[in-house]
Amino acid sequence: MPDVRLNNDPYNVIITGVGGQGNVMASRVVGGMLSRKGFNVTIGETFGASQRGGSVMSHLRISAGSCWSPQIPKGKSHLIISLEPTEAIRVLKDYGNPKVAVICNTRSVHSIGVISGDQVYPDLKDIKAWVSELSQSAWFIDATDRALKMGNPILGNIMMIGAAAGIGLLPLDCNDFKSVICGMVAPDKVALNVSAYDLGRQMVNCGND
Amino acid sequence: MHIFGSRELVEAVLKKDLCTGCGACVELCPYFKSYKGKTAMLFPCTLSQGRCFAFCPKAEVDLDVLANRFWKAPYEGTPLGKYRNVLAARAGEKMENAAFQTGGTVSALMTLALKDGIIDAAALTDRNDMVAVPRLITRAEDVSGCAGSKFMAAPTLSVINRGVIQGYARMGVVGTPCQLTAIAQMKTNPLNRQDFKDAVALTVGLFCTWAVDTRKLLPLLTECIGDACIQGMDMPPPPSEIMVVDTDDGKVEIPLERIRPLVPEGCHVCPDMTSEWADVSVGVLEGEPDWNTLIIRTEAGDQLVKDACNRGYLKTKPLPAENLKHLCIAAANKKKRALIRARDQGLLNTTAKDRHSVLRLRPEILETIIDTAREE
Amino acid sequence: MSHLLEAKAGDRRLLMGNEAIARGALEADISVAAGYPGTPSSDIIESLARVAKERHLYVEWSTNEKVALEVAAAASFAGLRSICVMKQNGVNVASDFLLHLAGSGTRGGLVLVPCDDPGALSSANEGESRHFARMLEIPLLEPGDFQEAKDMIKWAFELSEEILNVVMVRSVTRLSHASGSVVFDSLPETDKTAVFRFDGPYLDPMKGPVLSLPVTIMHTRQQEKLKQAVAKFEESPFNTYIGPETPELLIISSSVCHLYSKEAIHILGLTDRVGLLKMGTTWPLPPKLMENYLGLTDNILIVEEVIPFLEENVKILAVELAPQIGIKKFFGKKDGTIPTVGEMNPDLVVTALCKILAVENDGVPEIYTRRAQELFSAGAPQREMTFCAGCPHRASFWSIHNVLQMDNRQGFVCGDIGCYSLAMLPTGFSTLKTLHSMGSGAGIASGFGKLGPFGFNQPALAVCGDSTFFHAVLPALINAVHHRSDITLVVLDNSGTAMTGFQPHPGLPVDAAGNSVPAIDVIRVCQSMGAIVRICDPFDLEQTQQTLFKLLERKGVNVLILKQICTLSPEKKAGKNFEMTVDEATCIGENCGCNQLCTRVFKCPGLIWDKQENVSRIDEVICTGCGVCASICPSGAIKNKEVA
Repeated sequence: MPDVRLNNDPYNVIITGVGGQGNVMASRVVGGMLSRKGFNVTIGETFGASQRGGSVMSHLRISAGSCWSPQIPKGKSHLIISLEPTEAIRVLKDYGNPKVAVICNTRSVHSIGVISGDQVYPDLKDIKAWVSELSQSAWFIDATDRALKMGNPILGNIMMIGAAAGIGLLPLDCNDFKSVICGMVAPDKVALNVSAYDLGRQMVNCGND
Repeated sequence: MHIFGSRELVEAVLKKDLCTGCGACVELCPYFKSYKGKTAMLFPCTLSQGRCFAFCPKAEVDLDVLANRFWKAPYEGTPLGKYRNVLAARAGEKMENAAFQTGGTVSALMTLALKDGIIDAAALTDRNDMVAVPRLITRAEDVSGCAGSKFMAAPTLSVINRGVIQGYARMGVVGTPCQLTAIAQMKTNPLNRQDFKDAVALTVGLFCTWAVDTRKLLPLLTECIGDACIQGMDMPPPPSEIMVVDTDDGKVEIPLERIRPLVPEGCHVCPDMTSEWADVSVGVLEGEPDWNTLIIRTEAGDQLVKDACNRGYLKTKPLPAENLKHLCIAAANKKKRALIRARDQGLLNTTAKDRHSVLRLRPEILETIIDTAREE
Repeated sequence: MSHLLEAKAGDRRLLMGNEAIARGALEADISVAAGYPGTPSSDIIESLARVAKERHLYVEWSTNEKVALEVAAAASFAGLRSICVMKQNGVNVASDFLLHLAGSGTRGGLVLVPCDDPGALSSANEGESRHFARMLEIPLLEPGDFQEAKDMIKWAFELSEEILNVVMVRSVTRLSHASGSVVFDSLPETDKTAVFRFDGPYLDPMKGPVLSLPVTIMHTRQQEKLKQAVAKFEESPFNTYIGPETPELLIISSSVCHLYSKEAIHILGLTDRVGLLKMGTTWPLPPKLMENYLGLTDNILIVEEVIPFLEENVKILAVELAPQIGIKKFFGKKDGTIPTVGEMNPDLVVTALCKILAVENDGVPEIYTRRAQELFSAGAPQREMTFCAGCPHRASFWSIHNVLQMDNRQGFVCGDIGCYSLAMLPTGFSTLKTLHSMGSGAGIASGFGKLGPFGFNQPALAVCGDSTFFHAVLPALINAVHHRSDITLVVLDNSGTAMTGFQPHPGLPVDAAGNSVPAIDVIRVCQSMGAIVRICDPFDLEQTQQTLFKLLERKGVNVLILKQICTLSPEKKAGKNFEMTVDEATCIGENCGCNQLCTRVFKCPGLIWDKQENVSRIDEVICTGCGVCASICPSGAIKNKEVA
């Protein structure tokens, strides 16, 4: 049995983004960290064809008890971690509720419809306002931009995990992160990932918006 | 002005078999291409107005607009169009070593024009296998290689369009009446573009009664000549009812009754037999296979012919009255036939929003053309 | 060391369903694993391939699923345990052999693991493998969660050896590609020797020849084996019940659907009114167990995906047991309580329960839902599926589409399964006009190519991948050559089975475990059949189009191989060919002469359209530097600079 208690059981987290942003890895890291704490973790993913430019979601169920459905029921998410701004809106439509918390990366990935001129990509300031309206609390992080400065845009997803740890809604801690990441990346990349995680945590604590 | 875009061009012209493959819409943009004589749209473009539609000789050609621009007078509908002079002509001694069909007038004029720098490139039609293909010639000595009737429209204007992008500023064109109508449209800068430059300095028009759809002609040719190489094509004047194909295996005759069904609808509604929008127009001279009929229309054309005569590139003599009379009758009849057909198909002076005209002209002129010819 | 091996017995790990299955196979001490890549099944073979050396396994990506099952069967006949893995439609491909195998029986345990894709998240169909078990009379098991995904495999191998026949263990996407907690068991260390005994008498199951003949005798045996399995099913730990002793409503479910049902009961607070019977042994249904639970209540809801397989089987039993249990009221797919199409989820079960028990669900306030829907319409542009930036298929279909348009004879392309299936969408210029199963494009085109005598004069093309070429195209190609069909086959060779995760195939010099193996040369194979073969680099648009024009004029069978490596392959990911830039002064943008060709029509995700400035730009994060956009730019504004 885990030492800590969850705010809700099962605690439902959705990590969402566009195929290729490291969504799956992020869910494995978070799932792995909470599994180490003794929780029963279930993760549902969208793989394969959806990756070709499509929206992807990972549904995480964290529970002290048993295994839950790999699909979160509608309107039942507690925390949404979005690697792309419009994906947050998409997920909130089906899985949001007035009490949900959202951490959102600000870097947009344009759909083919936007690139071809058939669709219009909304303004970031509008997206921020809408996400805030549909949630109880929302944090906006320039994760990709900071990650680019660190040398690799894919580190953005690690930064978002750090941010999730920083807001304190889940028992995510640095030691668990270090253990899990060591099993997933080459030894010479561990330090960089840990820096990204720490930076993410700081970004929410400093009220980065 | 009635200018629309690529989608309308496809509906109003391509899908109605009105396209003669002149090439005016090809190489302006990535969307219209020509292959083996057939013009195709690769993808639709979203613009409501485009140069493709504006240049097309089968899409909303307003004959008064053209006549006002070129002759500073409205369109009169006379059989041969506006001209200064009609002569008989043939290539002079400077062209002795060149090979050409009939009189060689076209080759002579284009050779001189290139040599003298009147034009920086010439858009001509060559033959590749059995298919007529356009070429942009820059060396005078290469002109005669493109001599000879093809009876299939090549998208010659596509090399003009590409030539504009490549930076040629004074091109010459040898083309059919539909091609020269398109050039005339181009010269009016129909879309009022700021960056417009008239890059065509000389136009030589050919006489034309009809041309044949390349895709339909190819199987017939293959059937009649097999693997042999085509060296020339000719249609002897009436009462002859054959097309003669000169091959490396000998001459092959194809009855015209097999050729006529292969003529596109676009030719049937074409009122122009002598290329009325050219600087000079050239055709056969009935009864004298070594000479051409030469119609001079503009000052530029006049000057070129004078130069060519003075320098030994061209020989001229007066045109016999009988020839001129027959030419006028033939031209008037083509005009009348075409306009009646166009009117009956609802392709003239249309008013409905979803119907496009091939031609627009004043109703009184239309009446005159139809009535006058009836008197013959 | 693979994480599948580094844990000990008693350790708990977060594992993907497929990894749990692989671990189960290792704990069951298999020797051979064979399969064909197919989402959502591929990771099972990949996981086993990674540990093949250490665990002394033979792991193979076979040419197709039929061959994979035959390879697994051989191991079984030689007394070894083997596992065979495929996606749902792979069973269709393997079914002729499976029919005969079920008749002949097996020796070493043989477990067939099809992974179905309800809702077609990564398929062109949502067909099912379950009915093959019933039709071919073999036992069917369905794990309900991640622990079962592992534990059931060992149990299945024991069952297979007890009854001497193949056992099917069916997974689904939401189990195979989901992850959950799994407690490990120990890994056995045994020595095995493979021997094929065949000299014994005809009907000796362990020592005679392996035959499905004489048919009626072997079929009788087959049915007896099934009865043996049913006896074990009555006591199976994989059939579980949670709920009140006398529920108002009994839900019968299987697979991951039982988790949805459990969740729905929890959401609505119906734990004392609704019982949940989870069946892990779903064919044949154990009648005594069923009688027991069907007797608990008159109202039964059956939750499964996709077709009403479980529902119909339960209803048949209910009719047979009617004298004992009475008449039941069934809810499920047949009466419209559950949808008959698509995958299940907790909300569909919630809706069903609300309807049956007349309860309300306190969901999200309607005002929130309405507002979220409103904002979604403006704030979340739909993401079309697209080829990756730098994908050779985009360039290939650009050329094929344009050549067909210029050829102007209403030519068309018949496709099959792979990333290039996306060419039915605007990303591939909607070039594909038929799409069915592996290799079907070539077969269909071969049929079109014989319709000349009926006035058919449209050029018929087929596309296939380098992997589907070996899987199913060969017989169709031979058919075309032999019957003088006029077709052009375009082989899109990107050096791997890309859509499913870049697995190797017989055209490559490496196998599933990374060993060096001979590659079969596609060119020589086609030439030896008598087809004309040409090879082009699809990134060289001019050469590709000229070659295709020439082939379209040729009668007979033409093969055009467009060879360029997949942009997701490890070699390609290493670096760009070119650095791309757009000269904004030269860019014509949406005006006449271009009308946004690169972003509106070519639609590469590596490009950005700036509507304000009327120019295109390169997205450096996404662009992979293939250089094709520079070839198509009409103004020459897009430039490629070679990277040193």
